[in-house]
Amino acid sequence: MNRRPGGELATRPLHFIWIADCSGSMKTDGKIQSLNVAIREAIPHMQKVAAENPNAQVLVRAIKFSSGAQWHISQPTLVEDFKWVDLQADGVTDMGKALSMVAEQLKIPPMTDRALPPVLVLISDGQPTDSFEKGLSELMDQPWGTKAVRIAIAIGSDADHDVLQKFIGHVEIKPLQANNPESLVNYIKWVSTAVLKSASSPASQSAGAAPVSNVPVPAVPTAAPSSGGGPVTADDVW
Amino acid sequence: MPILRDGQEVQTTTSRMSCKVEAFLGGGGQGEVYRAVLDGKVIALKWYFPAQATPEQRSALEVLAKKGPPTAKFLWPMELAESPDVVGFGYVMPLRESRYKSIVDLMKRRAEPTFRALATAGLELAHSFLDLHAMGLCYRDISFGNVFFDPDSGEVLICDNDNVAVDGQGEAGVLGTPRFMAPEIVRGEALPSANTDLFSLAVLLFYMLVMHHPLEGQREQEIKCLDLPAMNRLYGTDPLFIYDPVDASNRPVAGVHDNAVVFWSLYPQFVRDLFTRSFTTGLRDPVNGRVRESEWRAAMSRLRDSIYYCGHCGAEAFYDVDALRASSGVPGVCWSCGTALVLPPRIRIGDVVLMLNYDARLYPHHVDDDRLYDFTKPVAEVAQHPRDPSIWGLRNVGDDKWTVTTDGGQTYQDVVPGRSVTLAVGTRINFGKQEGEIRV
Repeated sequence: MNRRPGGELATRPLHFIWIADCSGSMKTDGKIQSLNVAIREAIPHMQKVAAENPNAQVLVRAIKFSSGAQWHISQPTLVEDFKWVDLQADGVTDMGKALSMVAEQLKIPPMTDRALPPVLVLISDGQPTDSFEKGLSELMDQPWGTKAVRIAIAIGSDADHDVLQKFIGHVEIKPLQANNPESLVNYIKWVSTAVLKSASSPASQSAGAAPVSNVPVPAVPTAAPSSGGGPVTADDVW
Repeated sequence: MPILRDGQEVQTTTSRMSCKVEAFLGGGGQGEVYRAVLDGKVIALKWYFPAQATPEQRSALEVLAKKGPPTAKFLWPMELAESPDVVGFGYVMPLRESRYKSIVDLMKRRAEPTFRALATAGLELAHSFLDLHAMGLCYRDISFGNVFFDPDSGEVLICDNDNVAVDGQGEAGVLGTPRFMAPEIVRGEALPSANTDLFSLAVLLFYMLVMHHPLEGQREQEIKCLDLPAMNRLYGTDPLFIYDPVDASNRPVAGVHDNAVVFWSLYPQFVRDLFTRSFTTGLRDPVNGRVRESEWRAAMSRLRDSIYYCGHCGAEAFYDVDALRASSGVPGVCWSCGTALVLPPRIRIGDVVLMLNYDARLYPHHVDDDRLYDFTKPVAEVAQHPRDPSIWGLRNVGDDKWTVTTDGGQTYQDVVPGRSVTLAVGTRINFGKQEGEIRV
């Protein structure tokens, strides 16, 4: 017999989407293998953060882009049940197509009209080969796209930082430059723990540091994005 | 990679002793916590991230360590620690025992206390924050992560005391945690203080008892994306209690906010009244409108004394004198099995009516106004007659003699320690300083 009635604290879904570059260049220097390892390393930490979060139901999926784009893990999967499937690299860099497909999933429906800010993590090592602008504009046409926390990770020296910066949409938040597997593991762990937590249960707020976006993006383990700009206000509620 | 490695030694700055790291326990926004050994005792060691290891934090910790904890309920900084090999500094504090669970465990139903244990936890929280505030300090960040409780006994521990500051002097630093911050802080009009602690305490108690946030009703449901701007509106610029007696526009939404509906009606009116005041006048008048810790402490103690059991399934129910007046003395049905509830014998002492369940105990708190909140050793307990189990009595297990009258004050009878008095209507027991009357 239950000692008290009722259920768990009411939660909101939090959609977390990996958007991964699987173009042929990811084959060089073991980049795709490093990415697979980094995400596998992050999953238990992500599960731990979710287990300590009473406000969110964390749902994870992944989309990959090379020649065209495809949902790699198509179903929003509860993070406690989430299993990573290794990505393979081949083809060109149709990043725009992937953003269009994410935009489709952020429409209501299939999105619910009650959620926490989605977290979109774009990981790329190169230049888009299709219309990135079209994909980004479709994404940003969706209210859930503009409300999403958009984080970008550049792998190696050939990644297009301008494109990644446009995806992020806040000049104060810079793409994270991963020049080696260790920094990639660090960044992937950071987005899947600190950013995930901030999107649902922002941690203790400190005086004097007004957040630049609708979700306070926590300090990156190595290089923190500088803060600036105006504080967010209660007028920006959707 | 944690900042400190297992086996590494750091030095305490006051006692100048070596503190040996045993294991990494966890990381937070400010730093990392380790299990460590100091002078043969297992303790906790917190080490700050370089960005958080500020001179201000260091001097704040030195002040706190010097002051000492209000009570043993606080896992308080004992002294600072540093190392020539590691940047920054840390501090040592008592280690939390594993029987203590987090409020997150409570919210996720991984810890399932009785109502009695929850009321005890509420009482201990209110008592502890009163002790802290009485020292002129304020906590500044009461929230899910900083309070732990034993689901069996209701005992609490208050952690993360490094944000504690002298009330009114905390110029910068922590503002609090969204959902717990007082509305005037969310709006940028005030900094954390003992008054804003009172708001956060009321939110935490509401979460614990009702398993829901007091401001999340229709207005929360109308928000699609619950991000920081939305939180600023719900908890800052446009807050409205879900059970505001005047404005019903923010009631809980069925299917979404079900816990609020289920639990709210279960509690006695005096508990609902305190929450209502906390989230109506307490929203608007931070200085004079908030429920004080001493009021919460009294209410949580009274709530615990109000608990009785369903005769059919054993679930806990609450004696609510206001509801009984409205229902001509009929106590309603059990939330768990739906059976009609039957009131147990009870004793009225002053303003308090205490349920004399089979396992009930009275403490000095109940019978001596000079010893309020003394629950160390019982003075009375309900007991069965040794030869006739159908007869129940109240046994004197204290040190003082009672005087009992059974017929309107005509006959006096002494009940010495070890003896019992039968639970019968109208029996009056003089415990020495207070008198109680039995009802059945």
